[in-house]
Amino acid sequence: MAAVVEGTGLTKRFGTGEATVVAVDSVDIRIEGGELVMIMGDSGCGKTTLISLLGCILTPDAGELRIDGEPIDPVNEDLSVIRHEKIGFVFQLFHLLPYLTALENVMVAMDIASTKTDAAERRATELLTQVGLSERFHHRPAQLSGGEKQRVSFARALANRPKIVFADEPTANLDSRQSDNLMNLIQELRREYQTTIAIVTHHEGLKENADRIIHMKDGRIITP
Amino acid sequence: MKTLFLKDMRYRQARVVLTALGITVLISLILLLGGIMNGMRIQARQYVESTGADIWISAEGSGGAFIGFSMVVEEYMAFLNAAQGLTPDSASPLVFAQARPIVRGKSTKAIVVGYKLGKLGGPKQVLRKEGQAEGRMFTPSNFEDYRPEDPVPYEVVVDEKMGLEIGERITLGNEKVKVVGKAESRMFVLDTPLLFMDVRIAQKLLLGNTPHVNMMIAKTDANEQPRQVSAGLDALETIEVRTLKQTLRDIIAYYVDEPMKAVQFLRVMLWLAAGILVGMITYVTMLEKTQEIGVLKAIGASDYYVMGLLLKQVVLISAVGVVLGLILSYVFAAAAPIFVAINFVESIIVVCISFVVCCGSGYLAARKAIAVDPMIAFRGEI
Ligand SMILES: Nc1ncnc2c1ncn2[C@@H]1O[C@H](COP(=O)(O)OP(=O)(O)OP(=O)(O)O)[C@@H](O)[C@H]1O
Ligand SMILES: [Mg+2]
Repeated sequence: MAAVVEGTGLTKRFGTGEATVVAVDSVDIRIEGGELVMIMGDSGCGKTTLISLLGCILTPDAGELRIDGEPIDPVNEDLSVIRHEKIGFVFQLFHLLPYLTALENVMVAMDIASTKTDAAERRATELLTQVGLSERFHHRPAQLSGGEKQRVSFARALANRPKIVFADEPTANLDSRQSDNLMNLIQELRREYQTTIAIVTHHEGLKENADRIIHMKDGRIITP
Repeated sequence: MKTLFLKDMRYRQARVVLTALGITVLISLILLLGGIMNGMRIQARQYVESTGADIWISAEGSGGAFIGFSMVVEEYMAFLNAAQGLTPDSASPLVFAQARPIVRGKSTKAIVVGYKLGKLGGPKQVLRKEGQAEGRMFTPSNFEDYRPEDPVPYEVVVDEKMGLEIGERITLGNEKVKVVGKAESRMFVLDTPLLFMDVRIAQKLLLGNTPHVNMMIAKTDANEQPRQVSAGLDALETIEVRTLKQTLRDIIAYYVDEPMKAVQFLRVMLWLAAGILVGMITYVTMLEKTQEIGVLKAIGASDYYVMGLLLKQVVLISAVGVVLGLILSYVFAAAAPIFVAINFVESIIVVCISFVVCCGSGYLAARKAIAVDPMIAFRGEI
């Protein structure tokens, strides 16, 4: 299978002069279609920075990035379009919009992608049912448990049929039972939608679910 | 989802309502102040215009008929009645003086207008209304053949809005004056009612019974330019002569524009306050929404999309605020203890400008807000 995401020589620095931090240092990375990779490493080693580069939220200081085989030109291209067309994000702190219901939170992602409201509603209903929240369509985030919120997040990430979903510590704010449930759900979603998923995690216990584990240290990918 | 911005607003309804109300109150105050000044201008004009005079003569150095202290000797009457360019016999003596009559035991403000019945300066007739006691004009004196000891009845025609009854008496300069008729209301600036009486009585009660008047007014001949006639007479060393236009300009400047300068300033300040209010509240709301905006951007919303979301809210709040402000200003005007005349066209202009000011400041705040880095989505609280 072709690489969904391919980065070569990706580098990202923060700060200037003596305070410069090389958060990601000449990283070569390839994620194949349908893969479930986990990115692990010590705090501050550059995991979030790496997936932000791959997810077109940050632009690299050096290196090249291809998504779905197409080279990304961060200067001339509107990265927001790539983000809503090809990429899904799940955040550690869920980041659902507090004023919207579960259903509407999923629909927003499609609204951003200019999907018609009724089509968006159908898909949101389908996705929420898939993640086991058919009883929670009209609940606001404040009325949902952490695990439920993270399920809504996954439904939102999948809404626009992305090539890849990046999840940054999706289980960090969940207890172990909720995080097991979430992992089961992720496996189920993969079977259903053949989505490529990259998960940043500290949870050693989740390792067994991964097809591949990428270890990072000081901004570089290492083989432990 | 066309209603996304509405859902956001409903979620923050207390703040939305407060912002709109803030704008409402500020706009209505801006309009009310405009209405007060407009009302003052109308009242400054209405008596002067109603006289039908187009030449206004005051004492040299007085600065104009209504501005400074002016005393004119009545000998001028004969001269004016024969003057070039004036309608023969149109010259009329006029006392126009602030007074504090005691009405039903209470000292009130009023302006005494002493004029000669049949001449310029006062109403031609009294109001006649069905079911009310018949009024009449005051008994005229013999002005040209004046003798201080002549008995003249103390009679007055009052403004209909004073609420006085015919036959009632008011006290003016220690004398009882009888209300004999009511005239159509033409209050002077700040709702000051006019008391019309014979010029002799006015002299007796207010000018120490001297044969002087405050001004003389006249009409120009139909085929003469008031400007030229006025300029010609003004060349005389002992009088100041103004046209109606000049008189109106002086009176509005003296009674309205100059004293209301502070109010004009206040109006501008209120505008500024409205702009700052919207800008500030939008900005604070945006700060609170930084995380949300960052997340929206992270999941692929363009700046345009986020801007649309925020601007729709700003525009709606501003629109509701200014429209309610417009309505409230009319409510305030009706309840105000003084004459307020809100000019509809002017208030529409004010409303439009206020709307632009509010939207503009909201836009500035929104532009700052959408500059947020979508990386914020990966972090917790900042
Ligand atoms: N905006 C920034 N400005 C300056 N330094 C930054 C910025 N973002 C990240 N860094 C630095 O880059 C390095 C990598 O940060 P990153 O967030 O990618 O680490 P991480 O592996 O995700 O850590 P964690 O496991 O704690 O989430 C850190 O040293 C961090 O301090
Ligand atoms: Mg991180």
